[in-house]
Parts: sequence; C-alpha cells; structure tokens
Amino acid sequence: MAELRLQGLTKRFGEVVAVRDLTVTVESGELVALLGPSGCGKTTTLRMVAGFEAPTQGRVVLGGRDVTDDPPERRNCGMVFQHYALFPHLTVEQNVAFGLEMRRLPRSEVRRRVGEILERVGLTGLARRYPRQLSGGQQQRTALARALVINPSVLLLDEPLANLDAKLREEMRFYIRSLQREFGITTLYVTHDQAEALVLADRIAVLMNGVLQQVGSPEEIYSRPRTATVAAFLGVTNLLPGRVVARRSDLVVLRTSAGIVRACGADGLAEGAEAVVSIRPEHIDLDRADAPGSRDGVNHLRGVVRERTFLGGLVDFRVDLGEGFLLRVQGRAGAPQRVGDQVSVLFDPQAAWALPAQETA
Amino acid sequence: MGQPGGVVSAMVRRHERVLLTAVAALIYLFLLAPVVIVVLAALNSGTYLRFPPEGFSVRWFVAFAQSRSFTRALVFSLRLAGVVTCIATVLGTMASLWVVRFGGRLRTAMRVLFTAPLAVPGILTGIALLVFFYAVGWRRTGFAGLVVGHTLICIPYVFLIVSAVLVRFDRSLEEAARSLGADPFTTFRRVTLPLIKGGLISGATFAFITSYDEFNISLLLSGVGATPLPIELFDYLRFSFDPTAAVAGTISIAMALVVVLLTQRLVGLESLYMAGG
Amino acid sequence: MSAAQAETVIGRSVSRQLGRHLLVVPALAVVVLCFVIPYLNLLVISAMTPSTRAAYLPVFTLANYTRLIADPFTWRVIWHTLWLGGLTTALSLLLGYPLAYHLARAPRRSRGLLMVLVISPLLVGVLIRTYGWMILLQDTGVINQFLRSLGARGVPLMYNDLGVLIGLTHVFVPFMVLSVAGTIQGVDPELELAARSLGAGAWRAFWRVTWPLSLPGVTAGTLLVFVLAISSYVIPSLLGGFTVLTVPILVVRTVTELFNWPAGSAFAILFFAITLAILWVYLRIMGWASRGVS
Repeated sequence: MAELRLQGLTKRFGEVVAVRDLTVTVESGELVALLGPSGCGKTTTLRMVAGFEAPTQGRVVLGGRDVTDDPPERRNCGMVFQHYALFPHLTVEQNVAFGLEMRRLPRSEVRRRVGEILERVGLTGLARRYPRQLSGGQQQRTALARALVINPSVLLLDEPLANLDAKLREEMRFYIRSLQREFGITTLYVTHDQAEALVLADRIAVLMNGVLQQVGSPEEIYSRPRTATVAAFLGVTNLLPGRVVARRSDLVVLRTSAGIVRACGADGLAEGAEAVVSIRPEHIDLDRADAPGSRDGVNHLRGVVRERTFLGGLVDFRVDLGEGFLLRVQGRAGAPQRVGDQVSVLFDPQAAWALPAQETA
Repeated sequence: MGQPGGVVSAMVRRHERVLLTAVAALIYLFLLAPVVIVVLAALNSGTYLRFPPEGFSVRWFVAFAQSRSFTRALVFSLRLAGVVTCIATVLGTMASLWVVRFGGRLRTAMRVLFTAPLAVPGILTGIALLVFFYAVGWRRTGFAGLVVGHTLICIPYVFLIVSAVLVRFDRSLEEAARSLGADPFTTFRRVTLPLIKGGLISGATFAFITSYDEFNISLLLSGVGATPLPIELFDYLRFSFDPTAAVAGTISIAMALVVVLLTQRLVGLESLYMAGG
Repeated sequence: MSAAQAETVIGRSVSRQLGRHLLVVPALAVVVLCFVIPYLNLLVISAMTPSTRAAYLPVFTLANYTRLIADPFTWRVIWHTLWLGGLTTALSLLLGYPLAYHLARAPRRSRGLLMVLVISPLLVGVLIRTYGWMILLQDTGVINQFLRSLGARGVPLMYNDLGVLIGLTHVFVPFMVLSVAGTIQGVDPELELAARSLGAGAWRAFWRVTWPLSLPGVTAGTLLVFVLAISSYVIPSLLGGFTVLTVPILVVRTVTELFNWPAGSAFAILFFAITLAILWVYLRIMGWASRGVS
C-alpha cells in the first residue's frame, strides 16, 4: 500500500483561495477523514489528489512518487464520486471491468477479478443490470467495487453517503469501514458530516475556509479542539468566554461572567489571555441550588432553568448563568429540574477545555 | 401534487381544462390542415381537390415517378442533403464541444456566431453568397456552391441540439473514466460519445431535413443541372397545378415525421425549447 | 519546482490547450468565410455603381442609398413588410400562446405527442405548406368550394394580404410555441394555485401571475417571429401573387431580374438597419415591461 502526502497544497480560483497551504500525510492503510462545512475546500483538495485540478502551489506525493504533474489516468487512484458516476450505458459488470480494461489485462483475468469483487460486495446476481435498475445502496456498492478492483494506491471518497437515506447511511458507514480495513487501502474520505467522520476515521483533518485547523484522532478532536470553530463544528458544545487569571501546568483558572471556572488549558494560553471554555452538555450535572459549594475542585456555578425539552431518552436544558449566557445541559430522562428552578451547575475541570478566544489559524 | 391526470395549473376546474383543450385542438387543426390537405391531394383521383374528395388513387405517385425532372431533382436533393449532413454534423459537433467545454469568456460570442445564420433572412444569405462567389471568381458554383450554402444553415441546428445534450452531460462520468485509467481520447470514445450519440443523430437528421427542404438559398445558388427538389417544385407550381407536386409534398411529410419521432425518442423534443424553461 | 520541471508543466498545458482549440477551427472557418465575409462584401457592393455591362462598377458611390431613401415607393414597401410582419407576430402570439400553455402544463406523457404535432409542420418545409394553403385558399380551392356548396359567395383568400397573413402565421406559430413553452414551464404551477386559493379565477390567476412571468419567453418568441416574418420570401410570392410586395421579394427581383446588384444590396442593408433599430427599441420596452422578472 502507499502513503499519501499533501505538501503545501494551495488552490486559487482567481481572487478566491479555496485551499491554503494544506500539509497532511495519510499513512499507508490509514483512513483520514477530511471534514469541514460546505465550501471549505475539501472537495477541491480531493480533486487535486485525483488530478482533476492542478494545484496553484504544492505537491502531491503518492507512494513516494511526486504525481502532481501526472494526468488522472496515471495516478492509480480509486475514486468514488458523490453521485457515483456509474456509466449509464454499461452494465454493473462492464462498469467494474472498465478500470481493468484500461490496464490492458487479459480478458480471463478481468472476468475473474470482477467476479471476485462483485461477490465481495454482494452484487453477483446484479452483474448484468444497468445502473438505473439499481437501488441507491447497490449503486454505491458498484461504485466501490469499481474503485477497489483496480488495486489503487489510494482510495478517494467524495461524500459517498450524502445521497442515501439516514438508515442506509448508517449501515453503509460500517460497511465502508470494514471494506477499507480488509483491503488495507490508504483512504482519504471527504465529508461534512461530523458523526460520519467520528465513526469512520483513524484520523480527522478539519478544514475551514481552505485552512487546516487540526489533525488528530476522533477523540482528540472531540475533546481537545484547537480552536473554538472546531469545537463548535463537532457535536454540540458550550463556549463560555472568560479571561485567564492563573495557570498551573495543565490547569487554568478563568474569570467568567458566571464566576470562577477551572479547566484544562490549551497550549499557549497564558495568564491574562482572552479565552473561551468549551464544555460539552453531556459533561454537566445539575443539582439543587442549595447544594454544598465546590468539592474536590469541581466547578460550581449558579443559574436558572429557562427551557426544558424532552427528547425521549434525554432532556435538553437551557440554563441562564447570568448576563444572558444560556448553557446547554444534557440530563437523563427523569431529571427533576423544571423551568424557573434555581440550580447548581456542576462540571469537572477535566471535562472543560479552555481555548484562545481569537482564531489563530 | 397534481390533480387527476397530473396536470397542475391555474385550471383547477374541469370545464376550464376542457375549454383550454378545445381551443388548443382547434389551433392544432389549423397547424396540420395544409399538411393533411397535401397528402389528400396526392391520393386524390381527380386533378383538383374537390370537397367532398372524389376518390382514392395513386396515379399522381406514378406520374411523379415517371417525371424525369422531378425524380432527378429528388435524387439531387437527397445527394446534397447527404453530403451536407456529414459535413455539418462533424463541424457542428466539434464547435459545440468546444463552446460548451473550452469556450470560456468567448462562449456567448461564439454561440451567437454559430446560430447567426439562422437569424438572418435566408434569402439575403443566398444573395450574399451569390455575389461573393462571383467576386472571388467562382462562376459555375453548382453542387459545391449549394453544399456551402446549405452547410452554413445546417451547422447551427447541429450546434444547438448537440450543445443542449452536452450541457446536460454529467462531467463526473468522464472524471470517473479518467481516474480508472482512460486517457482523454479513450474517455471520449468509450464514455462521452456513446452518451451523446442521441444528440448527434438528432442533429444529423435535423440537418438532413433542413437541407432537403431548403428553398431560399437554393433559389439563388441553383443553376442548370443543379436543381434541388424545392426549386423544381417552385417552378412547377408557378405554371401548373396538378397534384404531382403534392406527391413531393407527401414524401417530405413522411420524412418530417420520421425525423421528429426519432428526435423525440433519442433526445426529447424539449431540448428544442428556444428560450427560458 | 525546478526551471526544467516548470517548463514541462507549462509546455504540456500549452500544447493541451492548443489541441483543444483546434476543435472549433473548421466550423469557425466556414462561418467566417461563408457568412461573415460575404455579408461584409454585400456591404461593400451596396456602395458600388450599378452597371449594365458587368455586375457592378468598382466605383464608390452612395447614390444607391440616396436614391432608395428618396423614393417613396421604397418606404411603402418597407412599411408594408413591417406591417405584415407585425400582424403576423400578433396573430402568432394569439394562437401560439394558448398552445404553449396547454403544452407546458400537459402531463409528461402527452407532452411528447404534442411536441411532435407542433414540430412536424416545421420540418415539412415552407414550400409544401404553402402549396397546401394554395389548395385550401384558392378561388377554386377547398374552402371556397365548401362555402359555395352552402350557398354563400366565394371569398378571395389568396393573392392578397389575407392569404399571406394566413400562410405566415401558420408557419410561425410553432416557433412562437417553442419559444414560449419553455418559459411557461419554468413558472411554478404552485404559484397559480396560490393565486386561485387567494380568490382569483382561472383567467385572473393566469393574467396576473403566469403572463407577467412568461414575458421573457414572449419577448424572445415575438422577436424571433417578427424577424423571420419580415424576411420571408416564399409565402408572400406564392400566396400573394404579384400584388403583395415585400422587401425580400423586391430585393430578389432587383438582383436576379434587374441584375442591379448594388441597388439590391443597398436595399437589403437599409432594411437590415431599420430592423435592428426596431429590435433595439422593442427590447428596451420589453426589458422595462419585464423588470419584475429576473
């Protein structure tokens, strides 16, 4: 298998900079998710890797070879397009065989490999069908088979699940993941769906406005986001503004509009800095207003419940901490707090993450 | 979202729809009347079409087949249309490919240029060509001159139809082929061409029938020994009136039906919408 | 990237670019050589002196134009042509719009058949259709026979303006339909339903909602039909006999019967210029009228 290295990739369309100085390495056999909102440059990046866009600056190195100047047909990338791009005038078999025919393999070999891959993805009975006769999931698997059968150096997927309904999407996520692991192919997966990225990826690269914000494992990105926008993009979080008043190795103490807060601090957060504290709703507990004060360094704030929404297995609270800051708190189904109650808001400093207030990226 | 019958419009009440359909039917009748009349005249036993029609006969078809000048003109027109179609289809498709894919900022200007021959009076184009050929010293223009004139007005049709198909074409199919190892030429041959084939055939048949029916330019560029059927007909109609001419008409009508049905099948006639939509 | 590498990249993309552009060259050559240049040539000839011994004398003169402009006959013919064209356009719109509306709102399946009905006449060729009208409109034609069989007098439907109008309208209704139908289809039918739910009857819903929104298509259609109608040669000459004179007929006559190429060219170009002016004014007005529509 091959390693994919993107070095300083930049793409300019006239005045607009779609991708700015992107450097990231996908290790051999790894699945990296390129995650970001629409228009952040992730698809452009994928297209540069595939060879459909020429980078304004930067290099694409695949398996140790600089392929930046190579046309798409010489890069040996397997690509799965968002709308599958199955050739409508060819059957499933013919679609899958296409890449092998381009490689001038003998017919018997082509037939053998096509048969194998179709069996692997469970489409053997549908080999003679045309794409329009297939369901969304079947088309998806055909596209995968077509990309995998050529033994690509790298597998590129452009939001492949965007067109499937929710249930199928979840199934296909695990399916793609298991296929990728089984084949051990280096994979770059573009998506705007952060839940998808969290499930599929070995590592996630978060892209915003063409700039790489952070690369790391799903856990890292989720619990230790580098910037406030990354924090807000993955899952739901509260961003409480404050100022650092003290720092003791990992822990920082901040003064916020709701009171003193202790949290884990990102590197580079010095005393006196403006910061935001990211606290996930599921890490916050509510207790009676007259509960005892700070125990074992647990953060203790006071607030009034403004909203309570029943969500089935969970309850969503909005708690006013003063000066209009509404904290989102996730409670269990039977949470007793009601609208208008005075409550104590409790959370562990380990679960609070302080970030610099400005975007430094 | 629609009423029964799938029609969604301001006409929600039954009698409104009936009224619209009735009006439309009358207008369709108006559109088809002369065409139907010509076919009736060709099959009529009498010389003049009487009301009510006299009887059924194929004598005029026989007369047509026996007329040296008509059959010669028919063959000439078919030959001319054949040559023009080949040239116009190739050139028009190439131009269309370029404008849709690589035109860039010149796209609008080129589109105007390639459809302009349709927008100016054919009769003027004929005159302009006649005068121009003379100016460059080309006197006996004959078949070749007609080829030039007809190709000029057939290219726009091919261009318009193939463009309509190309614009709808899903580029990601070509990218998929490229990513699977096909170079640009192979991609065009194995993926693009098969999928725009319908547009090409449509454009070609339109070009054929346009050349076959073309009158204005032929009027000015035809000469002795180079007389397309419409000109032959025109001369004939000035002096006689028997239905032999109607036979030529019936042949044209049959051809027109074939072209239209073929286009509808391959490309869908909606690609011929000329504005908006 | 080294200089050599940069050069290969540039070199490759340049040759790739050039190769692509070759695609358009042949068609471009045909259009420029056989269309643009002949028309420019016509412009040149319109300023040459007529001659009886050759096609023209290569002596520059504006007399062709001045003579034309001074002659009231010229203006009568021009006016007559424009009037016929205008009336044809109006009639085509009157007949074509309902057809277009019906077509645009027809269920998917019927639309194919209806399109066939609309387009087939177009492909039959002007001459054949005119011939059909001749059979119908003549004094001894089908319509008059029918009228006489009912005891009424015959009506002169041919060799006059009326016959020409009928013929022209018939030819151009499909063009109008094709231009307008696309735009009507683009008007969301739910807008009409919304109007109905707010209390508008069918006609009002149409007039206040669909019609204004379809104006761009109407503009395109009327423009197209007008330009084509005033350029028509076959119909006025066959259905109008010698009594109906339009600019195309006169131009052809001047060139092919009188062999006065310069005068014919001048007339053609004068007419062309007047047409352009009218179109420009028309487009300004229509642009103002459809200012609410994108």
